[in-house]
Amino acid sequence: MLGRLMKYEIRATERIFLPLYGLILAFALVNRLLRAFNPEANDWGNLPVNLSAFLNGVTMTVYVLLVVALFVVTFVVTIQRFQKNLLGDEGYLMFTLPVKAHAHIDCRMIVTLMWTVLSLIVSALSIFILSVDESNMRTFSEWCLSMRREFAEHGASSWLILFECVVLLAVSILAGTLQLYAAIAVGNRSARHRQLAACGAYIGFGIVEQIITFGGFNALNGISPDSWLRAWLGGVARSLPNAALLEIALGLFILYCALFGLAFYALTNYLLSRKLNLE
Amino acid sequence: MDSILECRNLTKYFPGCLALNAVNLSVPKGKIVGLLGPNGSGKTTLIKLINGLLTPDGGELTVRGNKPGVETKKIVSYLPERTYLSDWMDVRTAIDFFGDFYEDFNKAKAYDMLQRLHINPNSRLKTLSKGTKEKVQLILVMSREAQLYVLDEPIGGVDPAARDYILDTILSNYSENASLLLSTHLITDVEKILDEVIFINRGSVVLTSSVDEIREREGKSVDAMFREVFKC
Repeated sequence: MLGRLMKYEIRATERIFLPLYGLILAFALVNRLLRAFNPEANDWGNLPVNLSAFLNGVTMTVYVLLVVALFVVTFVVTIQRFQKNLLGDEGYLMFTLPVKAHAHIDCRMIVTLMWTVLSLIVSALSIFILSVDESNMRTFSEWCLSMRREFAEHGASSWLILFECVVLLAVSILAGTLQLYAAIAVGNRSARHRQLAACGAYIGFGIVEQIITFGGFNALNGISPDSWLRAWLGGVARSLPNAALLEIALGLFILYCALFGLAFYALTNYLLSRKLNLE
Repeated sequence: MDSILECRNLTKYFPGCLALNAVNLSVPKGKIVGLLGPNGSGKTTLIKLINGLLTPDGGELTVRGNKPGVETKKIVSYLPERTYLSDWMDVRTAIDFFGDFYEDFNKAKAYDMLQRLHINPNSRLKTLSKGTKEKVQLILVMSREAQLYVLDEPIGGVDPAARDYILDTILSNYSENASLLLSTHLITDVEKILDEVIFINRGSVVLTSSVDEIREREGKSVDAMFREVFKC
């Protein structure tokens, strides 16, 4: 059933994202071609400004606005799909489908992750299109070569770090999305001013997150310098190579994000499955 | 008599109001039951509880022995009093959607009803009038071969000429073994199709009776009885 839910969730959202992706890539390409065929397009020094320079400026401005719009839209669609499709009128259909409440959360968070990652890829690709020229390509290929050397030198460790970075990105996007869902679900419990209550809940979650994080750091700092734990931790840190320390740090960071994500998931699932009250 | 729906002391509060007050009722299998009451009497609240869209504050509600959940949603076909289809869909996509999620959905029946009501399956829902959207929803709901149909004000939003057509559609598309719970305050229009009635007022059930009993014992129509019970 999750696959079927995702099929319709993607169909509902692709109408918004795919045209935006197309426009961003098209404006990046037009801007690049303008500069490729007319090097004077960059020449704003002499007045009156020539047509190429004017078009170049316009396409660049539109491109930047589109990229900003893409990330604003990603954020707004994440909220809107949860708020409107689950807790608005459309929720009357979604919550009478024979699926568990968690399937609705799973579906939306996976599709949000998919669009966020695609948005990042499209943005990176558009920057590549905009900046591609002989010297940049040379720098880029040199950078690729040096990365290859690094990977060859450090072997499995560098692959693990790369993998951890990818997982960290995915987990932090999911945890951020789940924080939004939990805040909307809490806001929906309020009889009036649901959106205001959701904003309050979101800020409240942020404060709790900060308190727990600082509490954890303070607890670590509070360990007496003479204690066996600090001696043991210091010994472990000294004995390990830098790469291993980075691996552990990234792993802990993933765990940290995942724990908050799980808490938000559990809260949202509880509210949708046990305390649902569609107005 | 076997019942498909049972409520025992079902209670629901909203801030500042008791929407359902210890409601006890049962809907028998194979009957068409009218849930009748004035505006704000608790009809929609009860229907939303049956469909798991609200959580009860007390008492128990079961559909064929199960509390509202995945198992009950497989056998209950629900028509809410509002538009619940996504605007981005066309009618064909909405039919595919129902076909994908409900095992008891009969696509051929849905297309047949669309044709009879002259609705183009390729129309975007966004472009349809409110009345046509309501008809599409009714077609989707009645194309399921469900065990319990729960229709909340199915004729509330349509003109009197279309009401008979909709009631005929409901009658000709529900199987004899299924039960149908229909809420409305337009009693004269539905009276002829009802087997039983439940009168509800201010969150409490004030009368449950078969339509024949009302006619024979009281010598009144359901509409006259309703006017008497709910006299302002």
